[in-house]
Amino acid sequence: MLSRRLATPIPEKRSGSSKTSTSPTDNYQLARRRTLQVVVSSLLTECGFESAEKAAMETLTEMMQSYITEVGRCAKATCEHTARSTPTLSDVVITLVEMGFNVDTLPVYAKRSQRMVITAPPITNASVVPKALIAGQKRTHPTYIPSHFPEFPDPHTYIKTPTFREPVSDYQVVREKAASQRRDVERALTRFMAKTGETESLFKDDISAFPLIAAKPSAIPYLSALLPSELELQTLEETDSSEQDDQTDTENNSSNVSQDDQSADKENVVLPPGGVVPTGKANEENMIDNPYLRPVKKPKVRRKK
Amino acid sequence: MLSYKQNPDPSGLHSRRCMNRKKDKGFEICINNINFQRKSVIGYVELTIFPTVMNLNRIKLNSKQCRIYRVRVNDLEAPFIYNDPTLEVCHHESKQRNLNYFSSAYTAAVSAVDPDAGNGELSIKVPSELWKQGDEMKVMKVYIEFSLDQPKGGLHFVVPDVDGSMAERAAHVFSFGNQNSTRFWFPCVDSYSELCTWKLEFTVDASMVAVSCGDLVETVYTHDMRKKTFHYMLPIPTAAPNISLAVGPFEILVDPYMHEVTHFCLPQLLPLLKQTMSYLHEIFEFYEEILTCRYPYSCFKTVFVDEAYVQVSSYASMSIFSTNLLHSGMIIDQTPVTRRCLAQALAQQFFGCFISRMSWSDEWVLKGISGYIYGLYLKKTFGVNEYRHWIKEELDKIVEYELKMGGVLLHPTFSGGKEKDNPTPHLHFSIRHPHTLSWEYYKMFQCKAHLVMRLIENRISMEFMLQVFNKLLSLASTASSQKYQSHMWSQMLVSTSGFLKSISNVSGKDIGPLIKQWVDQSGVVKFFGSFAFNRKRNVLELEIRQDYTSSGTQKYVGPIKVTVQELDGSFNHTLQIEENSLKHDIPCHSKSRRNKKKKIPLMNGEEVDMDLSAMDADSPLLWIRIDPDMSILRKVEFEQADFMWQYQLRFERDVVAQEEAISALEIFPTPASRLALTDILEQDQCFYKVRIQACFCLAKIANSMMSTWTGPPAMKSLFTRMFCCKSCPNIVKTNNFINFQSYFLQKTMPVAMALLRDVQNLCPKEVLNFILDLIKYNDNRKNKFSDNYYRAELIDALTNSLTPAISINNEVRTVDNLNTDVRLILEEITRFLNMEKLLPSYRNTITVSCLRAIRMLQKNGHIPSDPSLFKSYAQYGHFVDVRIAALEAVIDYTRVDRSSSELQWLLDLVQNDPVHYIRHEILSMLAKNPPFTKAADSLLCNEALVDQLWKLMNSGTCHDWRLRCDAVNLYYTLFGLTRPSCLPLPELGLVLNLKEKKAVLNPTIKSEQGPGGPEVTTTMCTVIFFDFCQFPTQEEEDIDMDTVHDSQAFIYHHLNMLERPSTPGKEPSSVEQAMLSMPGTPMPTLSKESTSSKHGDHHHHHHHHEHKKKKKKHKHKHKHKHKHESKDKDRDSHAFSNSPASGRSIRSPSLSD
Repeated sequence: MLSRRLATPIPEKRSGSSKTSTSPTDNYQLARRRTLQVVVSSLLTECGFESAEKAAMETLTEMMQSYITEVGRCAKATCEHTARSTPTLSDVVITLVEMGFNVDTLPVYAKRSQRMVITAPPITNASVVPKALIAGQKRTHPTYIPSHFPEFPDPHTYIKTPTFREPVSDYQVVREKAASQRRDVERALTRFMAKTGETESLFKDDISAFPLIAAKPSAIPYLSALLPSELELQTLEETDSSEQDDQTDTENNSSNVSQDDQSADKENVVLPPGGVVPTGKANEENMIDNPYLRPVKKPKVRRKK
Repeated sequence: MLSYKQNPDPSGLHSRRCMNRKKDKGFEICINNINFQRKSVIGYVELTIFPTVMNLNRIKLNSKQCRIYRVRVNDLEAPFIYNDPTLEVCHHESKQRNLNYFSSAYTAAVSAVDPDAGNGELSIKVPSELWKQGDEMKVMKVYIEFSLDQPKGGLHFVVPDVDGSMAERAAHVFSFGNQNSTRFWFPCVDSYSELCTWKLEFTVDASMVAVSCGDLVETVYTHDMRKKTFHYMLPIPTAAPNISLAVGPFEILVDPYMHEVTHFCLPQLLPLLKQTMSYLHEIFEFYEEILTCRYPYSCFKTVFVDEAYVQVSSYASMSIFSTNLLHSGMIIDQTPVTRRCLAQALAQQFFGCFISRMSWSDEWVLKGISGYIYGLYLKKTFGVNEYRHWIKEELDKIVEYELKMGGVLLHPTFSGGKEKDNPTPHLHFSIRHPHTLSWEYYKMFQCKAHLVMRLIENRISMEFMLQVFNKLLSLASTASSQKYQSHMWSQMLVSTSGFLKSISNVSGKDIGPLIKQWVDQSGVVKFFGSFAFNRKRNVLELEIRQDYTSSGTQKYVGPIKVTVQELDGSFNHTLQIEENSLKHDIPCHSKSRRNKKKKIPLMNGEEVDMDLSAMDADSPLLWIRIDPDMSILRKVEFEQADFMWQYQLRFERDVVAQEEAISALEIFPTPASRLALTDILEQDQCFYKVRIQACFCLAKIANSMMSTWTGPPAMKSLFTRMFCCKSCPNIVKTNNFINFQSYFLQKTMPVAMALLRDVQNLCPKEVLNFILDLIKYNDNRKNKFSDNYYRAELIDALTNSLTPAISINNEVRTVDNLNTDVRLILEEITRFLNMEKLLPSYRNTITVSCLRAIRMLQKNGHIPSDPSLFKSYAQYGHFVDVRIAALEAVIDYTRVDRSSSELQWLLDLVQNDPVHYIRHEILSMLAKNPPFTKAADSLLCNEALVDQLWKLMNSGTCHDWRLRCDAVNLYYTLFGLTRPSCLPLPELGLVLNLKEKKAVLNPTIKSEQGPGGPEVTTTMCTVIFFDFCQFPTQEEEDIDMDTVHDSQAFIYHHLNMLERPSTPGKEPSSVEQAMLSMPGTPMPTLSKESTSSKHGDHHHHHHHHEHKKKKKKHKHKHKHKHKHESKDKDRDSHAFSNSPASGRSIRSPSLSD
């Protein structure tokens, strides 16, 4: 029985995480604990007890658990001490001996006549350790690493993650796919917008047939009508040709702004209305004599008409 | 604050000027306060006047809708009278409803305030203390304080309804108007011939910029630092109508190439402005080079504003554009349009702003020259093909208009000013004033003007032409730098005679006949040509006939060029069109000898191989062209065989010839035509607009050839070859619009294909699926340019594919019985329209196309006809193009469904919409697609509608000349010139007027008797409002009766003199009486009008004396009536104007001592 228990996952590995562990683990531990209680109860019955206090039961169970745990831990230590990874019977025996247990009495005890048989706890949940998805070829150990060392993890977890898809080489299919995908997205999106907002309908009898998103007047209609949408701007950036222009533009702008700021600080003048930052070629800008770029004068005491 | 100083024109060149008795030299205008919240403006103007006559005791200025607080002449308070007869053209009690009556009354009203005739709405009496000074010809300074409250014309406030400060809201204001409309926003001499120098001051919020004419001298904070004052100086003598103003939180862009040029746009649009203005310097360079003359002003400003009145308006040293002309670099279609607008604006800076006109009848010279040099710019920038195409387009336009509406007269002369001498009796409006012209007529006028300039160029050569322009400009710029006293400024005004004189001086050529034909006379020439080939004599017998009897035509006598393409080459012949000769014999050069295989030389020297099998074996003629250079304003209907047209299309290199051939081929649906068109379509050296035209022609031919057509639908295989993938021909390539020619072709072909019809007169399934596939596979991800116009045209193609639904028993249209094809179309439209809400396209082109498509679906009975969708898109707050498209649909619905409620809705919009352009467009679209016409009976045509429209043009549109003319136009379309037929016929000849307790001849009958007759000229309704201002309370008690009395009498007299020149002696005017009977205490409102109109009695000149007697008799009754009237007036003015200033004139009597 003990050896069987030892074969099951080692308890202390889980104990630390009991609080935070997920519910299946909880269940598992509870079940194990319950089994231990049953074992303790049956041992007590064997010894002639008829009832026990809850606290006494718990204490005994705890003791039992500690004992078994200690046996397992020591057996593992013994085994690892001899450079093995799996404990053998002799490891356990040595452990028991170490713990001051007379091993010779064990077979007799096991074969006692009044022994009660308890069914083993179901090990269903616990054993379902999901098998890790194996992606790609695992690297084998180099010669200087002993083979009993853990294997390398999957390459995608620490080298790179290649995604493999059957490359669709047929142009027609690609276009077809792109077209229908876009159309589906657009349709779904517009339907959603139509469903969630106000709509207008072309048919009196079936309002939902061709729902049109209601036209909403805007306060400044020319802005959305004239400025390119973000999507279009994005497209523009993707098409290489104009990229450079954009870049130089923004460079100019930024240098411009900073220069203007400086000059503003120095002369302590207010920039033209609307916070307009004069634009153009930064260097020329300072030389341009345009009346609209000149600073606004402070009022003088002027002769009244 | 607006402060403005006008210096009157000193020269006294015209005798007319003497009536004005003044010369203004300097003008100072100062606007102190612009309130965006209240939409109001406060300011003053100061004019410096140099009297040119003795005893200048009366100064007349133009002013509309301004509230005038005080007038001072040389620091002395001066009494003034405000009288604007154009506010209400015909007296509202009149039952007159015929247009002839209105037109002449309107013309008279405009004349009565015409600054060119020395008139004006505002008459200021010069204080008697200054009279002596006047004798000594001393300078006079006239100072006027005024305000504007919610102006309905002249200035337009755009104040978006969002949170934030006015600057954050992008609120702005700008001046606008049709022709001389400056009087709407400050008192001035609103004439193009009255030049003066200007000093302008505008105090605006610190977050705003005020852009105006001339140089910005300085910008100064006010003492509280919350506002800034912009000081402008315009030292170049400029007419008041060329002064403008724009105030807003503009973003400023100094042109990177020309630092004197500054561009302004509304917040957030700066990137677009940069892109749009990146080529302006090229236009500058071009004009300066051809004119060999620097740009006349020291700076130039462009301002882009929302809700613009017109796309382009030019003022001295600045232009105001619609903000919708701005575009990003990804937009193809808008770019050439905007460039054209800029070029137009700049051309007008030279001719129109810098050089102004002597009188209205000289307008054609300015419009002609600016249009002509604009054409030269087009030629240089867009190429000769584009230029010739444009000239043909313009020629076709003017020809079509004149043949339909009657002639367009460039240089009208009015002798004696009598209506009988009306040079254009065929028109329902007078062309005597720019303000009475229909807008369409004026557009055609400009079109004709530049075409005539081109004719002059043909005659005297371009070199001389440009020399003439240069001469005009250099004289003007010399003059502009002179001081006023040198009397040189008239050089800055162009007149027809002066212009012609320069031409003859420079070129030494006599262009008299040309001018007589096209400038002094209206109409175009209509030729019919046919020919026969006389084989024996080897002579081409050409017959050219003319139609000069129908309206809008005139007879042409003179040379005409005919080009004959023969086998041996191309030959020009100049024939003389004479009175009686119709036939012309033209000897041919080549025998028919097509067996010798030889290349055929073309006009341009090129030699080509031709397949001559199609031509007539006996004739060496390939094709014939009449007037190939378009050197006559004409329409030519020429008959030649189909193969000749086909040769012309294939081998003539002139785009005009190709286009003519294409339109001629429409009536020859043969395989040969098909082949010729297809070949042109494929030829990428061919001008793209020709190819586009070929698409539509091919569709027409295919439809006519339906039964014999073989192969796939027209253009399909061509499109596939040009734009689809090689490997999968049903899928279009991903968009790449780098080649504009093929872009335009790619856009157009589906639209033309959708016009194809099969035997059941349906669009072939194959074509529809093809278009749906184009939409489906459209992929713009790799494109440098936006595809919004392309997608919009694909929707247009879907629209074109629609055919009327088969309806059984007029069943109600439901979703269930929707045709499957239509369902597919509707799916696409719904998706496009909805996507547009999430990702709006440039200028919302896609929404516009979708709205048109939906209307077409309704019209064809596929979906229920319903205007509510369009009405929601027509609301204020949508982009203007969308609104126009939606309104067009509503107007179409109104016509088809004869809906009076929709018509009412539209007319309400005309009165209430904040955007002037929308109002104008509604009326012109209604006139183009009228709900009914005078010819047909309609339930819509009823008395209430007549009254409403009458009211609209009579008084409801007094703030906008253009709108009023639009209303007149609509009235004409709906009811014609005479009394509308739906009005009840007056049964009694005599009508008892209970109010006046007297019987008069029923005016409606009278009008029927003599429509448009001279009797109406006397019935100018002079409505004078006296409104005692509230503020100078103390002074009101002591009115200097003598002074006031005199001034009233003078004005009244003056006004009437215009109308009744024959009346001698002093007029015992009713005004005088009114003044005398006026109590000393202030009266709130007292209105008075000339008795003639009040009685509804329209008398001829010789009735005048009788009339006077009558007046006296009823003197006491008038007094009673005043009260009624003033109440009526109030009601009326409320109906049409919310602004107290618009309908009301103010007179502030003040003490001279």
